[in-house]
Amino acid sequence: MLELKNVTKTFGGLTAVEKVDFIVRKDSISGLIGPNGAGKTTIFNLITGIYKVTGGEIIFKGIPIQNLEPHRIAGMGITRTFQNIRLFKKLSVYDNILTACHRNAGYNLMESVLRLGRYKKEERNLRQDTEDLMEIMGLSKWRDHTAHSLPYGLQRRLEIARALAVKPELLLLDEPAAGMNPDETLQLMNLIREIRDRFKCTIFIIEHHMDLVMGICENIMVLNFGRKLIEGPPEMVQRDPQVIEAYLGEGAKLGA
Amino acid sequence: MDWFYIKGILILSGINLMAVLGLSLLTGFTGLFSFGHAGFMAIGAYTAATMGIKLGLPLIPSLLIGGLISGVISLFIGKLTLNLKGDYFCIATLGFGEAIRLILDNVQYFGGARGWPGIPLKIDLWNVAIINVVGILILINLINSRHGRNMIAVREEELAAKTIGIDTFKHKMISLFISAVYAGIAGGMVGYYTGFLQPKMFSMNKSTELTIIVIFGGIGSISGSVLGTLLLTALPEILRAFALWRLVAYGAAVIFIMISRPEGLMGGKEITLKGFIRLLNIRKRSGKAAEG
Amino acid sequence: MIQFLQQMINGLSIGSVYALMAVGYSLVYSIMNFSNFAHGGIIMLGAYFGFFFLTLFNWPFAVAFLGAAICAAALAVLVERVAYKPLRMRNAPFLYFIISAMGASMFIENFVIATIGPTFKTYPAVFSREPFRLGPLFIGRLDTMMFVISAICLAALIYFIDFTKMGKAIQATAFNPRASALMGINTDLIVITVFAIGGFLAGIAGVLFGMKYTVYPQIGFITIKSFIAAVFGGLGSLPGAVIGSVILGILETLISGYFSSQFRDLISFSLLIIILVFRPIGLMGKSTEEKA
Repeated sequence: MLELKNVTKTFGGLTAVEKVDFIVRKDSISGLIGPNGAGKTTIFNLITGIYKVTGGEIIFKGIPIQNLEPHRIAGMGITRTFQNIRLFKKLSVYDNILTACHRNAGYNLMESVLRLGRYKKEERNLRQDTEDLMEIMGLSKWRDHTAHSLPYGLQRRLEIARALAVKPELLLLDEPAAGMNPDETLQLMNLIREIRDRFKCTIFIIEHHMDLVMGICENIMVLNFGRKLIEGPPEMVQRDPQVIEAYLGEGAKLGA
Repeated sequence: MDWFYIKGILILSGINLMAVLGLSLLTGFTGLFSFGHAGFMAIGAYTAATMGIKLGLPLIPSLLIGGLISGVISLFIGKLTLNLKGDYFCIATLGFGEAIRLILDNVQYFGGARGWPGIPLKIDLWNVAIINVVGILILINLINSRHGRNMIAVREEELAAKTIGIDTFKHKMISLFISAVYAGIAGGMVGYYTGFLQPKMFSMNKSTELTIIVIFGGIGSISGSVLGTLLLTALPEILRAFALWRLVAYGAAVIFIMISRPEGLMGGKEITLKGFIRLLNIRKRSGKAAEG
Repeated sequence: MIQFLQQMINGLSIGSVYALMAVGYSLVYSIMNFSNFAHGGIIMLGAYFGFFFLTLFNWPFAVAFLGAAICAAALAVLVERVAYKPLRMRNAPFLYFIISAMGASMFIENFVIATIGPTFKTYPAVFSREPFRLGPLFIGRLDTMMFVISAICLAALIYFIDFTKMGKAIQATAFNPRASALMGINTDLIVITVFAIGGFLAGIAGVLFGMKYTVYPQIGFITIKSFIAAVFGGLGSLPGAVIGSVILGILETLISGYFSSQFRDLISFSLLIIILVFRPIGLMGKSTEEKA
């Protein structure tokens, strides 16, 4: 579904990502791990068009997307969450999701200003979609709370809900479990699986919680200093000496 | 204080309000700062006056054409500058506003810096009120549509807005366009109310004043903008006796608001009919509870 | 050719005073990331202090000059304490700083109008009007002094920034405020220092402008030139601010000399917009990709 071919990104003289190849298969859950500063988030920024690639290609459903504007890429079905949560802070939970539903309506500016034609019908649908999504994500109780007043875990959940409102085919999650305790992490794992099955979307995760990555990902890429170290199923990655060294230094064991 | 005086203040408020509403969309809802809105007012003012005097058009079409021309020019400006970040956009609009004023200073056809007298007095309380009501209704509808929500998303978190598929540049353009149209119409009304136009009327101070009113009323609140305009237009007029000190107080008040209540009068909330009824109900209920 | 050289010299002298204002503005921008619109007010106050020290107290020029600069520095710090510090403590968005700055600017300007009055005041003749003669060129004594004083101040500033511990701390804070604070740099002290330096230079610029033109409450408007110069050179860059100022000063004198002084400001503002459109980072600015 998504293919990175020889992707390279440099900032000035600094190479953040170097010649990375990777394939995300349709309906899979893939993982991206690596030590801090390995270039994981940079890869997400390249896929979503926030950064332009220095070299290589990013292909989504057969179409090269590497130099498109972020909103076009989102329109094609790729959306994401952010490592440092970026919600519409002063808006309510409901408005955060409602805003993201905008693509499902087609009324134009004239119609909104005069409240004519498609406006009423489509707006009613948007509001219904929003209510449904809040229900599924367990956010209905917090409907009118402003985003920044929510506890941390719920903010993460809201950010995922907002991303789902775009009806993505590929969802990128940047450290969704950051700052969560083991119990919350477990809940999140179930949620991610449920999202994949229910919304029929492919998922690509950056995460440091090894339990989560090893527990739900089918294919994992390990990044170190901007290069791909290895790629494969969890069992293989877990046992690879290179990975263990990159992550923990020699003599340590992953997931122990 | 007689009716004539009050009427004058109301008309002045109405004219200011139109410009403030436009700026409220741009600054309050889209999060973009402009120090050049007086420039858009000037374009609207001179265009509308030309339409009326040289082409003999009636008031409303003149004002609309003034607004439209101002809007079209804003599209050029926007295309060039809306990609700039925060401060740079501010400074670019400041440069634009001052450039417009300096150009008008040198156009002898419009009287240059000496001004352009003899514009027919066609503005009264009624047409100001109607124009503003229409302006407010359009703005409310816009804010409550997907376009308005997209603008708010740009204000809140531009990057996230992009990743949920919002064309942020386009929505900034729409916002700037509409706000320039409003400013243009307001400018047109200035000419037809005072009967006189002078580039000096549209200096940076005017732009600053508009921005201050938006902030004072509260970012992201239309009722705040209305309230802010009424208060800040009326107060200085009422305080004319202390003419010298009123602007000193004004400046101090702005700092005070920023450091103590930066959300402004309304703080992003709106006065709505529903809210008002709910407030009454709460009063009643608590009253009953006290009785019981 | 003679005329051209003459204009260049005049431009250099004006440009060097623009540089005094622009470096102060740019220094504040580099630390706080907002346009300090109250800078003009400080320049104006500096001009008034200098005027009163010379006329009321009959202080010798050097003393009056230094006194004005020190008073301006103190007031710049005061403005920071009152209008910006509370915002800084709350991590308020940059637009609140700008509004607060506009409030401060409005307060200062109108306070002077209310207390001292709106009239123009002429500095006593400190330097003889008799120009130096250099071959066929006439060089005004005042223009020479403006250039010499500005150059000394700028050299001192560069020494301070590049070779003292405090200067290095300022650079570090401009580069990365969070990391610098973690490394034990007292951010509050840095901010005070930056405002004191900016105010001191603004005071000097104020006195020089007061002598060159006259003193009046709106003289601070001239800072807009330093904004343009700073943008031209690249916001936040000190060498950029100096180079931008000198180029702007020379350009302006050439335009007034060869075309008309009426077009001078128009061209300055157009230049501003052109730079922002084609090279928004200015001559010396660094381009950055937004971090997600």
